[in-house]
Order: sequence, then C-alpha cells, then structure tokens
Amino acid sequence: MNDTVLVLSVVSAIAAGTPILFAALGEIMTERSGVMNLGVDGMMLIGAVTGFWVGVETESAVLALLAGGLAGTLLSLVHAVLAVSLRVNQVISGLALVIVGGGLSAYWGNLGGTAADGSADQALVQTKNGVSIDPIFPEVLQDLPVIGPIVFGHDLVIYFSWALVGAVGYLLYRTQFGLSLRAVGEDPGAADAAGLSVSRYRYVCTLVGGFGAGLGGSYLSVGVIGTWAAGLTAGAGWIAVALVILSGWRPWAALLAAYVFGALRSLGFTLQISGIEVASEFLAMIPFVATYLVVIVVSANPARARKIAGPAALGEPYSREAR
Amino acid sequence: MSKRASISPRARPPWTVRVVVPTASLIAAAVVGGLVISMSGNDAFEAYRTILDSSFNGVRPLTRTMTLATPLILTGLAAAIAFRMKVWNIGGEGQLYMGAVVASGLALAIPSDIPKPLMIAAIVLGGAAAGAVWAGLAAIPKAYFNADEVITTLMLNFVALSFMNYLIFGSTSFWKDPKSSFPQGLRIPESATMPRMSYRLHYGIIIAVVAAVLLWWVLRRTTYGFEVRAVSDSKEASRYAGMRVNSKLISVLAISGALAGIAGAIEVSGVVKRLDPTVLASELGFTGIVVAAVARFNCLGVIPVAVLLAGLVVSGSSLQRLGIPPEIVFLLQGLIFLFVAAGEFFLANKVTIASTVPVQPAGNGGLANE
Repeated sequence: MNDTVLVLSVVSAIAAGTPILFAALGEIMTERSGVMNLGVDGMMLIGAVTGFWVGVETESAVLALLAGGLAGTLLSLVHAVLAVSLRVNQVISGLALVIVGGGLSAYWGNLGGTAADGSADQALVQTKNGVSIDPIFPEVLQDLPVIGPIVFGHDLVIYFSWALVGAVGYLLYRTQFGLSLRAVGEDPGAADAAGLSVSRYRYVCTLVGGFGAGLGGSYLSVGVIGTWAAGLTAGAGWIAVALVILSGWRPWAALLAAYVFGALRSLGFTLQISGIEVASEFLAMIPFVATYLVVIVVSANPARARKIAGPAALGEPYSREAR
Repeated sequence: MSKRASISPRARPPWTVRVVVPTASLIAAAVVGGLVISMSGNDAFEAYRTILDSSFNGVRPLTRTMTLATPLILTGLAAAIAFRMKVWNIGGEGQLYMGAVVASGLALAIPSDIPKPLMIAAIVLGGAAAGAVWAGLAAIPKAYFNADEVITTLMLNFVALSFMNYLIFGSTSFWKDPKSSFPQGLRIPESATMPRMSYRLHYGIIIAVVAAVLLWWVLRRTTYGFEVRAVSDSKEASRYAGMRVNSKLISVLAISGALAGIAGAIEVSGVVKRLDPTVLASELGFTGIVVAAVARFNCLGVIPVAVLLAGLVVSGSSLQRLGIPPEIVFLLQGLIFLFVAAGEFFLANKVTIASTVPVQPAGNGGLANE
C-alpha cells in the first residue's frame, strides 16, 4: 500500500465518519440523561432531506446545516413527548421515529417526481445542484505531503466537529449542567430529590441529540455525498447508536470510533486499489460484530468494565409517583 | 379557578377505553397523514380512497394484500411474543434473512424428486431452526450476562444482511446461479415452491394463521404460557416461585426467532423462489414490530393488523399512478405506530381534567369571632 492510497483512505475515512460523529455526539448527550433514542436514522434522514433542500433554495451551506439540525430537533421532540412525558417504551418510540423519519423524508424528497408519465425528473429535491462546502485552508498548506490532506484539507464542518467533541466532553465532565444531566441519567430518583427537574434535563438532552443527528444527516447529503436520495443514510444512524456503546458514552472515544467506522466504509475501495481481495460484505460486518462482542464482554465483566458501561437508568421512564 | 390534569395508573382499563383509544389513534394518524398529503398539494381523500380500493376492493387486490400479510403475521407474532415478555427482539429482520438463507439452501440441496409436502416441511423447519439459532446468539448472552438484547439483535441484523449479500453478490456460492450474467440466486426446484390458492396467494397464509392461533392458545391456556406471563410481570417473584427464568427467556427468544425464520422460508418458497437479498430486505421484520405494537402484542390481534398494514404497503404503486409519492404509505405506517404508542399512556393511566377547588384556609374561624 503506497502513501497516496493510505492518505486518501484516511481522508475519506474522516469524511465518511463525520456525519456519524455528529449523530453519535448527540446520542451520547441523550443517553447520558437516561433517554435511549433509537430513532437516530430517522432523524438523520429528515435532516438530510431538509438540509439538502434548504441548500438548494438558499445556496447557503450554513443555513442548510442549521435547517437539517432543526429538522432533526423537531422529530426528536416527538420522542421527548412520548418517552419523557407519556412514558411510552423508548424502544417502541424510537423505532416509530425511524419509520416516520424514513417515510416523511422519502415522500418529501420524491414530491413532484412521480409525474403521470413516470418521469422522475421534476422531483422537488433531487434534480437541482446542491451547495458545496469547500476546504478552508490555502492550497499551499493543502499541498503539503501527508499532513496537507489529513490536517489542512478539510472543510470547516470537520474542524467544527473536532471542536464539538471537546465541547461535549467539557460540558459533560466540567460543568454543573453536565454533572446534573449525568445524575439524571444515573439515578433520576436521587436527582429529583436533590431538586433537579428530571424531565427538563431529559427534554433538553433529547432535543440536543435530535440536533446532532439532523446536523449529521444534512452534512451527509450536502457535504459528503452531494445529493439526496431516499434512504441516503444506508443505516448510518444505526451505526451511530452502536458507536455510542462502543465509545463507552465518551466523546473522545466516539471520535476515534467514528473514523474507524468511516474507514471500514471506505476500506473495500482502498483494498481494491491496493490489490487485496477481501469481500466487501465481510468488511461491512466488522463494526456490527465488534459492537455485538463489546456489549457481551462489557455485560459479562460489569466490575472490570464499569468505566465503559452505560448510564444506570438508560431507557427507563421516570415517574415520581411510581417510586 | 384553574384546570389541572390528574394522572393515576390503572391495571386494566374498561372496555370502552380499550375501544376508544386505539380508534382515536388510528383517526389521529389518518388526520395527520391527510394533512401532510394535502399540504404537499395532493388530494388526501382521493389518496385514502385509492389505498382502500387498490388493496381491499376485489379478489385480486385482496390476494395481493393477503400475500404480503403472510410474512407480516409471522414477524408480527415474533415481535409480539418477545415484547410481551419484555424481551426487545429487534432482530426479526436478521432472523428472517437467516431463515431464508437456510430454507433456500435446503431447497437446492435436497433431491428435488421427493414429495412436495415433505420438501416444504423440511424448508419451513429449516428456516425456523435458523431463525431460532440466530435469535439464540442474542438470547444466551442475555440470559447469562444480561447483555442488552436491543443492541445485540440489532447488530445481528446487519451481520445477517451482509452474509446474505455475500452469498449472492460477493462470492460464487452454492446459492448463486452460475449461468446468469448478473448476480442472482439459483431458482429453487418446483417441488419446493408453495402451492397457490388464488392468483399469487399461496398456502403460506394458512401456516401463518395457524401459528397465530396456536401461539395464542399456548400463551393463554398452557402452563408454559402462564409461566411466560408470570416472568414478564416479575422476574424475581417467578424465580422465587421456582420457575426457571433463564430457560423461559431463551425459549421465548428462540420461538420468536423461529417465527421470523419461518417468515423467511415461506417468502422464499411462496413468493421469491430464490435467495434474492434485494427483495427479501424489504423491512418485513421491522414492519412486524409495528404490527405487534398496534395489535398490543395480542397474537390473534396480529392477524387483522398485519392485513391492514399489508394493504397500506400494497397500495403504494397505485398511489404512484396518481402522482403521489408511494413512500407516503411508510409515513402513514409510522404515524399509526406513533399514535398507537402514545395511546398506551391513556390505556395505562386514568387522566381526568378537574377544576382545582381553592383550599379553605385551615383554622377555627368560627371560634375566633366570638
């Protein structure tokens, strides 16, 4: 494997991993407060179609990404109402979000695209060219060998995602808000007794998670792929859910894991140009097999693996009356 | 004077509530779906009329609906029995794929001149075994290490999908048609195909309905069913009463996986006729979860709900002819799911809107006046 191929594969791993990273950072916030939202894929899809459409209409990448994030937030509000206020089973509510998000995004993206004569070229979203997001550093820096493309070759969004990893880590571990939200996720009864509003923290964190997923979705359609198609995420939202567990609910580990997932997604291509024959289907399996094994290993050694175990009250609705 | 909602949990709602709440959920889903259709410039009433017309009006539409309802009844049962025991098997999708892989493999491996009933029994049982084993990969870690089955079953879905894709697209496997110029599965022999009743409707529907009735009976009328329900109510109490909680858990997940595996086997034998990953990966497993939730995890309720949701999905192509994106059927399906889930709150809790009466100041006002 020569240098160019290696550098290229790192660059494509970072690009492919970034949408998943945004979604995973959001889901870390959500799950840290004790709410499990399995609807990440649905929120990413809604974010992807909204972001792409706004990008086409306004020609502004910033507005596109923001709109995608807000669309994800709106859908996550549904989960917050169901899971926090109505105390509906969070697995059910999250799966409902996946179906609603997938259906609504595909419907919207295909509007006007199914004319009576069967031609699909009038679709609201697909046909137009989206906005593009360009690298920010001058070409002199980008052209440096190896570190040029890896360190200076990205667009602003990727640098923002690095900053966001630090910000989420700081928020969770170094602020009063972070301490409180983790308390709500570990022991809502005690947090309630200490005067924290469990549902307020859970609402905020669920909405933040929705924004992350929507932002990830819109960066996927606007920045990485550059088009919209129904089911664009190809399961990226589920990968984000898996990644939260693999990372042990820690932002820095999520960054690493996102790039490993991103690398695996583009590894088939990399190996092919290096002349190594591995069925791409087996590469596609690796992240899922890894998550499966990690979950079992963590469960089998709760004492040794406490550092990477999830919030204690994850997925359990909190009701003051039922205590 | 302010109004205040008071919420109190209840064990079993009166029958009026059990009728009104699901009806209201369906109406709410239809109204919201209708608003989305109207706001996007299409005629909602025409859309709903088309949905009903194209899936339920006439023999041919009905057979199309029932053909799709067949796997949905089975995956619905798979989700219903697991969820009822509070085991969150999200892996129906992967268990269905593995059922399809083993069933098509058996259909190709067994000499094609054996009697049809024997052949079909073999592939259905093979599919069931494959689904049960695949679910077991999540059940055993759950039983012994309490490994979260939501995540393990979910991950196994993707592994199964990749494996199925590998057999057809990534290799020259036993399942693949060597003569075809594009990658596709080898057609299964005639003796392995499910006989048809009318149009494309095959006898698989009988298997699905029998499975539903059988499972309903087992849960309601047998010791096993009683123990399953007891474990779902309280693991600790059941263990104290001498029930073997772990073996219940493993057996329920195995039955759940077997049902999804049978769905895969029947799809191969009755509809697809070969291992075709793109056709099989049409979210039958996920839709089964919707079916189970809307049926409130009642095994008999799964049958009409599966027919209803199958009718919705089947009508997609007719909507397309009207110029309405067919994906609306998935949105409607999701909305039904969402509103039925929200309805659970109103079934489980009594909500009364009462005016709060200002509290009289305490004290002996009368005496003070003297």
